[in-house]
Amino acid sequence: MSNVRDRIKPGAIKRRQVVDSIFKALFTAAGVLSALMIIIIFVFVGWKGVAPFLPVYGGEQQSIWSFISGMTWRPDQNPALYGVLFIVINTLISAFLAALVSFPVSVLTALFIVKIAPRPLRAFFTTVVEMLAAVPSVVYGVFASGQITKIVDTVAGWFGKTTFGGNSLLTVSILLAIMIFPTITVMSITSISAVDRNLELGSLALGASRTQTNFKVVLSAAKSGIFAGLVLGLGRAFGEATAVSMVAGNAMTGPTWNLFDITRTLTSTMLSGLKETTGLDYDIRFSVGIILMIIVLLTNLAIQYIKRKIGGVTND
Amino acid sequence: MTNDRRTLDALTNKRGMNNQRRLADGIKDFITYLSTSLSVLVLGAVFVFVLTRGWQTLSWDMITGDFWGGNFKVNFTETLPGTFTAPGSLPQDAYFSEKYGFAVRDDKNHEKKDIMVLLYLDPESPLKTSVGATAGPTLDQPLSAGIGAEIRKITYVNDDGAKKSAGLLGKQNAEQMVFTLDTQSVSVDSMDFQSSGGGIRGSLAATLMLIGITLVIALPIGVFAAIYLHEIAGKGKITKMIRAAIEMLNGVPSIIFGLMGMTVFFPLTRLFGATTPNILLGGITMTVVLLPVIIRQTEEALITVPDKLRMGSLSLGATKTQTIFKVVLPNALPGILSAGLLSISRIIGESAALIYTMGTFVVDRPQLNGRATTLAVQIWSVMSGEQPNFELASAISILILLMVLVLNVSVKMITASLNKKWKE
Amino acid sequence: MANEEAKSVTDTDRTVDQLSSGGVMFRVQDLDLYYGNFQALKKINIEIPARKVTAFIGPSGCGKSTLLRCFNRMNDLIDDVRIEGKILLGDRDIKDANMDVVRLRTEVGMVFQSPNPFPMSIYDNVTYGLRCQGIKDKALLDEVVESSLKKAALWNEVKDDLGKNAVKLSGGQQQRLCIARAIALQPTVILMDEPTSALDPVATGKIEDLMETLKEDYTIIIVTHSMNQAARISDKTAFFYLGDLIEYGDTDRVFSKPADPRTEAYITGRFG
Repeated sequence: MSNVRDRIKPGAIKRRQVVDSIFKALFTAAGVLSALMIIIIFVFVGWKGVAPFLPVYGGEQQSIWSFISGMTWRPDQNPALYGVLFIVINTLISAFLAALVSFPVSVLTALFIVKIAPRPLRAFFTTVVEMLAAVPSVVYGVFASGQITKIVDTVAGWFGKTTFGGNSLLTVSILLAIMIFPTITVMSITSISAVDRNLELGSLALGASRTQTNFKVVLSAAKSGIFAGLVLGLGRAFGEATAVSMVAGNAMTGPTWNLFDITRTLTSTMLSGLKETTGLDYDIRFSVGIILMIIVLLTNLAIQYIKRKIGGVTND
Repeated sequence: MTNDRRTLDALTNKRGMNNQRRLADGIKDFITYLSTSLSVLVLGAVFVFVLTRGWQTLSWDMITGDFWGGNFKVNFTETLPGTFTAPGSLPQDAYFSEKYGFAVRDDKNHEKKDIMVLLYLDPESPLKTSVGATAGPTLDQPLSAGIGAEIRKITYVNDDGAKKSAGLLGKQNAEQMVFTLDTQSVSVDSMDFQSSGGGIRGSLAATLMLIGITLVIALPIGVFAAIYLHEIAGKGKITKMIRAAIEMLNGVPSIIFGLMGMTVFFPLTRLFGATTPNILLGGITMTVVLLPVIIRQTEEALITVPDKLRMGSLSLGATKTQTIFKVVLPNALPGILSAGLLSISRIIGESAALIYTMGTFVVDRPQLNGRATTLAVQIWSVMSGEQPNFELASAISILILLMVLVLNVSVKMITASLNKKWKE
Repeated sequence: MANEEAKSVTDTDRTVDQLSSGGVMFRVQDLDLYYGNFQALKKINIEIPARKVTAFIGPSGCGKSTLLRCFNRMNDLIDDVRIEGKILLGDRDIKDANMDVVRLRTEVGMVFQSPNPFPMSIYDNVTYGLRCQGIKDKALLDEVVESSLKKAALWNEVKDDLGKNAVKLSGGQQQRLCIARAIALQPTVILMDEPTSALDPVATGKIEDLMETLKEDYTIIIVTHSMNQAARISDKTAFFYLGDLIEYGDTDRVFSKPADPRTEAYITGRFG
């Protein structure tokens, strides 16, 4: 047997070590770069969004107070009016209305899929939920703008009201309810599946029926995950842009309380009339972006809080 | 014993309680059925809506056609005739030019006017070499009449060297025009045609370009970052922070990525000659959107590779890098593949981030450093005009849904097989 | 610089190779090992003889596998491990920061508890270590594959199908392949971490027979749970208990006249 150890050249060893260090550096760089992105987003979007309120902005400098407390958004006027408060309220209203509809349906669907449905149906309905999650938002937009608007318009007619072609707060909320449904459902499915089986057996052994066990024990044990799902859904509703802006109608003033009236959300504001990529009308969208990020950030913090505080008895 | 039993029955009024409970249980169960059917209903409604509104519009011509219709005048870079044979598939009423390799037929448009429709164009035909003849961005740029275009006039040169017109503007029908060209022309000079527009070829091309550019940038970074997290980094505080930062990226609304792309990366694309939002910028922005997805998918695949293989490799004197590339990554390949497919699906469905970074102006011949729309953004674009075009939007939606669903099913199948692989 | 390094490499190789049976291969001095705050090994002092089989025995969690992994520094891969003391291979401390760990592992091969062939061909498994060292000479690789598989007593079973995926082999064959894979690098030491615990008796017998022949060329350290196995195949036996080296000596002596009552209790099966 030839001596292979003589064939291992010291130069090759050095080279391998250099290659190894280079790649380790590359891997690390990729990891750090990925992590930096979130900071870059905050810094750059934040900086550009704050700029219109600083003296450096020159003649068109905006008052931060009238931006934050304003109830009118009139970029078409001279001088333009940019007040974001009513838009924030509108965004919250539409998202909460959506959650009001979507949350119970999602939780019940998740319960059905995990605990009640026979096995073959389970796979079918899981697929349905996954498909709903996979449908791109712009497709929901087309659907909302072509179908939900019609339904809303008809319903408005029953109440003797008219709508602007069906574009309305109600349409936005229904659309958002559909879009956040898979988010909440998937989270609920995960946390309901993780409920300790012994808890259920305990409940059944005490003479509770399957249904009573499902509703009383399983749901309450899974509540941390379910509420985290709800907040995740709200986060998605706040940030949803394309579909919402197709049916929001972009009201100039607000807030909108009437279900059949047009509304304006943070995201629809950021997308409406986007033509130039310079000037105040463009930069102010970054300011709106900051508000949106703050709301989403608070939502994320809420999830962390819920996961820590509410807790539940699950197997993970 | 029997006495006890009786007492309990009396206490709880057993029969009544049971019936009441059964009713309550039944109602509760029923509302879960109801909720679940609602989701099926909604999914069905979305499908039925886009299918009924879009099916008529969906056609091969739409997929390969330009979005911007209009009248075009073109010259040819190759003007001399050749010898062509007609394909077997031509309909009865088509007329084929053996000299120039194209087929046309007479038809009427929706305004009941006579038109002449291009049915077939041989790949070698001189008519394929057309370039724009009118001033503007299309001058001297390749601009060929697609199948379905309406030919209005073809100008040819006859034996005497004089330019003559054939076609509808010369009061000729299809048969006469082909006959004239095949018998009297020495070469072709120019052509007037009208294309119907409403096609998606440009957006389709832009979508593919965007997918390509995004994957080329995002996959290496994402996979490397996953390797860092799972193979290199320890379990310390810094790793936790990096993980949390990447996780946070997942919750950022995609429209914010659009804003970020314009401020952070637009200057970068200027180096490539970009003056407007552009496909390259869209790709870089989508990279950031997709990083958490790719990192998570890849890491999940890395987790399934048994540790004993890494140990085996290291104990044989392989370096960490060699172990990663020779043993770990080949076994994690299905996971990386599914990360890629999932990314493609996200790119196809994305709109908000791209409206900012690529623009909303539909371009028929997209360039990497110029404006363009993906299929999803084209939907947004045709929907947000004065007169929303539901038919086109729905037709594109059908295509998008089809692609996205196929991709998602593939990912599911790959994940299932990956999980099975190490379970034996 | 390059010259000097080349010289030092061959030098160390020679010092190790020159050791005849009975010389000292590893000299462990006052070794302490901590996982975080937990001390897994306490002041271990032991000398491992060259070209002999040394068995580490003791109940689970006594630190025998941990000590084994010190000899090729596989403990480096675990976070939060701290090692004090010395492990000398020849006159080099393998814990030294300047020690080329990757190179050390080519000299000190390892066979794991459950067979871990790579999901690639038998040929690629055996040549893996050499290729990692940059050896691409096909004729040499072919020669090494044949000689290594022969030494591992696997050649006759697989010689016609070297392209077969290694994971399709039986458990015993896989483990012998892992031995062949380690031998291919021509190491001086082979560490075996309960190499037969996942195998049936027939496959175990084959591996034990194999060790008998391997010790002519290699120093073997084996961790085992089987008292019988230790008694059958080893020349030296070390008994560990709760991180302490309780007793170390010739196998015959340890099994017939254990000096420590704990050793006696363990080998007579009163705990384990």
